[in-house]
Amino acid sequence: MAENQEPIIVCREVHKWFGNFHVLKGIDLTVYPQEVVVIIGPSGSGKSTFIRCINRLEEHQEGQIVVDGIELSHDIRNIAAIRSEIGMVFQQFNLFPHLTVMQNVTLAPRYVRHQPRHVSEETAMQLLVRVGIPEQARKYPGQLSGGQQQRVAIARALAMQPKIMLFDEPTSALDPEMIKEVLDVMRELAESGMTMLVVSHEMGFAREVADRIVFFDEGRIVEMGTPEHFFENPQHERTKLFLSQIL
Amino acid sequence: MARMYSDTDFYVAAPEPPESRRPPRTSVGWLGWLRHNLFSSALNSAITVVTAVLTILFAWEFLRWSMRSAQWGIVFNNLRLITSGQYDKGEIWRVELTAGILVFLIGLSMGLWGRITRTFSAVVLVILAFMLLIPLVGSQIPDPSVYHLIQPRKSPTDVIFLGYEGDKVTFTVDPLTDVADADQTFAGYQESASRTDWSTRAREVKDNVGKVDDPAMKPENYNLALTLRLLEESGAVLEHDGHPTELILAAGKGGTLSLTLPDDGWYVLEVVRDDEINDENLGFAWLKIDGVTVLSNLESDTKARDEKYGSPPKRERAILVQDKNYRFEGTRTLGEFVSVQVLPLVRRIVLPAVVGVVLFANAFLIGRLGKREKRLKRVSLAAWALSFPIILFILYGVSGSSVLPVVPTSVWGGLLLTILLTVVGIGASFPLGILLALGRRSHLPAVKWICTLFIEVLRGVPLITILFMAKLIVPFFWAPLSDLDLTVRMMIGLTLFTAAYLAENIRGGLQIVPQGQVEAARALGMSSVLITALIVLPQALRAVIPAIVGQFISLFKDTSLVALVGLFELAGIVDLIVSGSNVYRPYQREAYIFIAIIYFMISYGMSDISRRLETSGAGSIRRSM
Repeated sequence: MAENQEPIIVCREVHKWFGNFHVLKGIDLTVYPQEVVVIIGPSGSGKSTFIRCINRLEEHQEGQIVVDGIELSHDIRNIAAIRSEIGMVFQQFNLFPHLTVMQNVTLAPRYVRHQPRHVSEETAMQLLVRVGIPEQARKYPGQLSGGQQQRVAIARALAMQPKIMLFDEPTSALDPEMIKEVLDVMRELAESGMTMLVVSHEMGFAREVADRIVFFDEGRIVEMGTPEHFFENPQHERTKLFLSQIL
Repeated sequence: MARMYSDTDFYVAAPEPPESRRPPRTSVGWLGWLRHNLFSSALNSAITVVTAVLTILFAWEFLRWSMRSAQWGIVFNNLRLITSGQYDKGEIWRVELTAGILVFLIGLSMGLWGRITRTFSAVVLVILAFMLLIPLVGSQIPDPSVYHLIQPRKSPTDVIFLGYEGDKVTFTVDPLTDVADADQTFAGYQESASRTDWSTRAREVKDNVGKVDDPAMKPENYNLALTLRLLEESGAVLEHDGHPTELILAAGKGGTLSLTLPDDGWYVLEVVRDDEINDENLGFAWLKIDGVTVLSNLESDTKARDEKYGSPPKRERAILVQDKNYRFEGTRTLGEFVSVQVLPLVRRIVLPAVVGVVLFANAFLIGRLGKREKRLKRVSLAAWALSFPIILFILYGVSGSSVLPVVPTSVWGGLLLTILLTVVGIGASFPLGILLALGRRSHLPAVKWICTLFIEVLRGVPLITILFMAKLIVPFFWAPLSDLDLTVRMMIGLTLFTAAYLAENIRGGLQIVPQGQVEAARALGMSSVLITALIVLPQALRAVIPAIVGQFISLFKDTSLVALVGLFELAGIVDLIVSGSNVYRPYQREAYIFIAIIYFMISYGMSDISRRLETSGAGSIRRSM
């Protein structure tokens, strides 16, 4: 990876509390364009909260997050600008159940980007072909399998032509048979050069696709490195313990 | 101990799964349905049987009452009042035009978006065929007899009727010479024009005959000497085979006069009592007239008749045989039910009904043909939006205009007012309810508190109180409001009340939209206005459609409360009819049953629409999120 490139995400000393509970205890992370970063860690370690801070679904209280040169602050214009550059895929898909697949994908381009209907539908169709379900365009989310729904959710996020994609445990709610179809789409996306931040428990995917792996525990980054380093030569005791339990 | 496995404990299935078979016959089809649903257990069977028996008994009793003894005249003689209240008679066409516009728009919308079930069209066709057949059937049924009471100490009344050439008419004088004669019940038309109607007087006679110490009340004293004469319109005695048509009865005798009428036209039956022997002419007698048609009282019918035969001859102490002056009493046969109770109603509504169905069918066809046209859908939505001010304009009129003179809202009434109050209430309370619900969830404390206060106050007060406040108290606080029309004030009262309840229903819907939906929309860069309008509200509203429509239905029924404040909507106008005339007072039951049916049909229609909305689009799919 081109380390001399300008970073696209810079996080410095990010702290966050839920009430009195200290969730993020000073996160420092820099992500470069076209990089795939997989975040792993036990549940409750703050990894989901962290990536939700990046598009301001959660608000951090201390530290600095700069996305594509824009610093996240209370300024609503900044937030809107950053959100339209970041796509996000959720564990529970969060498709809009009252809209068809096509409407789900075209909604934001039409109402946020003010694209004409035929343009947005054309783009949507291309994206649905890309995620492999063009024939489901007229159906409602409730008629699709979990794997198909998650692929629609990816297409929906891509429709806004984001520079960065955030994945918050995209396969955790899926049947084993459907995990692969979603991972294939993500793999294809990574190959196409998308900057991706993925919270996942899919170790196979992490080893194969990730440029770097970040290990979270108790609100901090415990260890960060290439997949080879991470899986073959972990340094920290906590990392070793975690890996010994899941591999 | 070693386990003893058999061969079947280890198993590999054939490569192909077995073919699907049909389910056993007793578990599908109507037989299966009966078994599963009505006779699944002894208790269920018992409940089924008991319910069926009770339903049939109730239906049978109701049918028997409504066909054999109910007097539906209160309904069909007051249709104009029931539909449009005291709206100016000459301006009724404006109400009819309004109804036409609505029927057309409903037809168009159903064609565009809905579908008409086979049951619905079958019901409409059956009713229509029925309405077209009834006049044919009715004309074949002989007219029921007409009864008069002839009393002592009161000059007998002459009877004016319209006869047709070849009609065989019979006049029978039946003296009351026995106590038993008084107990007869007659099935036929009986005089009801005077202050107390015939049946009341007849009952008086029955109750007092032979019991009261009055010589006239003793049947054995019957001594009337009566003469019946049939006069032509000119007043001359009708000649019959060279003899005058008259029946002279000796004192105390009865008799029959029967003849075939020579011409179409007005006739008068003159009843003369020998007044010379004043103390002697005691007693009551029934006068029965057969073969005479009781004329319709409907304005258009009267007009047509007057043009053809001239207006009826004027006489003192005479009554005209028309349904205003006569009322059917006693137990009816099915034929008499058709000719006396159904025919007049059908005659009054067949024209508007046929026009309505034709209009509806045309609009439906247009909608069906344009189903794929986006533009037609948009046009029809615009037409709905526009129809409302146009209808109000048509109904209210312009001051100083001769074509559309102003009809003040104080005379709007009946079904018209009910529907108007409901439509305005729904149209205004729905957006207000949404705003209140959103306001109550607002992060701004001031907005939140005001909305909460508004909702809780309005929900904590009975509707009738709000309506009285709108009428009496509000003008105190703010003088300009006292100039506001009472009808408008009632609309505002109903709207605010409904909005408060709707707000709570909608708030319930808002609460069940998962936070993930909002997050996903936010992550796509949507603003909170967009998120509310496109993501949250559509899901929230759909989730609470039954509750919302339930609120609308109760608004529709609650409009009847404005009667207490002095507006005569459907229930109020019936109350007015019943309390306003002695003639109709005994028939409240019929009137209230009739409006109950109207209320039910409209409410049922609304809940049917709600069920369709619920299952349309994404609602037909069980949502997995």
